[in-house]
Amino acid sequence: MLVLTAVPTFLVLLILIGLFIRARPILAQKPFFSLFFSSAWSPLKGDFGLLPFIMGTLWVTFVSLVLAVPISLLTAVYLSEYAPLSVREFTKPIIDLLAGLPSVIYGVWGVLLVVPLVGRVIAPLFGVTSSGYTILAGGIVLAIMIFPTIISVSLEVFSSIPYPMREASLSLGATKWETVHHVVLKKGLQGIIAAIVLGLSRAFGETMAVLMVVGNIPRLPGSVFDGGYPLPALIANNYGEMMSVPLYDAALMLAAAVLLLVVLFFNVLARLILVRVERRAA
Amino acid sequence: MKRLLGGMITFAFISMLAVSVPPPAQELSGTITLSGAWALYPMAVKWGEEFRKLHPKVRVDVQAGGAGKGIADALAGVVDLGMVSREIHPIEVEKGAFAIAVVKDGVVPTISAKNPLLDRILSSGLKKEAFIAVWITETAKTWGDALGTADKTALHVYTRSDACGAAETWAAFLEKRQEDLKGIGVYGDPGLAEAVRRDTLGIGFNNINYAYDAKTLKPLPGIMILPIDLDGSGKIEPAESVYQDRDAITAAIAQGVYPSPPARDLYLVSKGRPQAPLQVEFLRWVLGEGQKFVAETGYIGLSPEKLADGRRKIEGR
Repeated sequence: MLVLTAVPTFLVLLILIGLFIRARPILAQKPFFSLFFSSAWSPLKGDFGLLPFIMGTLWVTFVSLVLAVPISLLTAVYLSEYAPLSVREFTKPIIDLLAGLPSVIYGVWGVLLVVPLVGRVIAPLFGVTSSGYTILAGGIVLAIMIFPTIISVSLEVFSSIPYPMREASLSLGATKWETVHHVVLKKGLQGIIAAIVLGLSRAFGETMAVLMVVGNIPRLPGSVFDGGYPLPALIANNYGEMMSVPLYDAALMLAAAVLLLVVLFFNVLARLILVRVERRAA
Repeated sequence: MKRLLGGMITFAFISMLAVSVPPPAQELSGTITLSGAWALYPMAVKWGEEFRKLHPKVRVDVQAGGAGKGIADALAGVVDLGMVSREIHPIEVEKGAFAIAVVKDGVVPTISAKNPLLDRILSSGLKKEAFIAVWITETAKTWGDALGTADKTALHVYTRSDACGAAETWAAFLEKRQEDLKGIGVYGDPGLAEAVRRDTLGIGFNNINYAYDAKTLKPLPGIMILPIDLDGSGKIEPAESVYQDRDAITAAIAQGVYPSPPARDLYLVSKGRPQAPLQVEFLRWVLGEGQKFVAETGYIGLSPEKLADGRRKIEGR
């Protein structure tokens, strides 16, 4: 059984090693700077600057966090502290359902609703003409995808805060909101950070939904109304050209390895924080 | 008596051998997997259905995903045959790509049926230089720039995000490669058609079978085909007006009126010369009997010489 448990761990390591081995040709041939800090992407001419894709990923993830975190946290606070039991029992399964929906469904819904919303309603509000296939659209779709992650982890964090602590605050004359603000949120801060980091790592890796709405333009985004091109979309779109252009497969493997490292890092970080929270609650 | 018995047994034995005929040569079974170009997808599905009628024990699995996926899957050995809707590059041939041309179709430029300048665009069309200004150099920022007028209506340019034959072929018409096409990248042929349909100021391109409705043979509701001004006269002559329905455009491609590129041969690619009897038989059938279904599915058949070349290539001659 120990061996069986070790298998997933080794799998991640094997994948990472495999990716780096396949990425070696391009790491050997191209200077590090031109791979990670150049925005020239022209595989046929031998330009493999990954900067637009790294920036695209960062922009889309940042937008999704800005949209998701306040709403998710407030939802979690409401469900944990204010909502009657019936509302909580009704909403939690629905939120978990959101987590289980396939990515491509979000993508199709995004194309049908979010892209026109951004192109015809939101962009004109800011005085910008846009087709709707933008970083903002990608951020909106991603935000909805990471709601369940942040909400459910935050709910668990809040439930791990001992009730007597809330009672002590209320007995001192604090209002419910002051209790929430000064006791629950403060005590749960580490756990909330872990929840956000978990949501972040999900947002980094989402592929299908984002590539359907984000515009896939390999250029540094200038604003949220520009198209972007996150790393997972790069790999998914161009997997087909791998065999046809020299070094392209190595470049895509490198992009995949970078993505894996980033997601791994954030996941490990979140787990460490959560372990600390649980240990303190016990 | 013993000799008679021995003779009868020998006779029975020999007659048994004569009666036990070999199994019928057409009893093929197994699965053929295809993946790749959206362009070939409808044809491959049709061929799969018809082949199955002849060989009920054979299954033909077809998956789309773009010509790039087709080539990658074929060379990786993940599928039996890759569907590729563009020319095969030398580097792919070096990696073992064995391509047979099976049918022909084309890529057409598309606009929304609700474009405010629709009548002007349909009457004058766009020249090749205008298309290059739209997609390659990005010097055409407005419909006026593309048409050569002073109109300031914005132009929204779309292309394909996935590595595909349609984009590569359209780029070949503009003398470049897919990565040189600039614009909002949308995934898949149907995706691009949908994006142009919903954006009144949009311009894109599609394979014929995704620009025209398969039943009515007219352009998809909401889409119009942007005529190419082939002779550069600034007007679409009756001879250049070949886009009314699918039959008109396929006839134009067959006669060479519509240029190649953006019309092009479509290929089935395997890793090395196919050896499995099922694959060989399928390919042979596609180049022979299968050509009957080409016109009704909206494609253009290949010339007898090309088909014979293909058959020779399969047999290794």
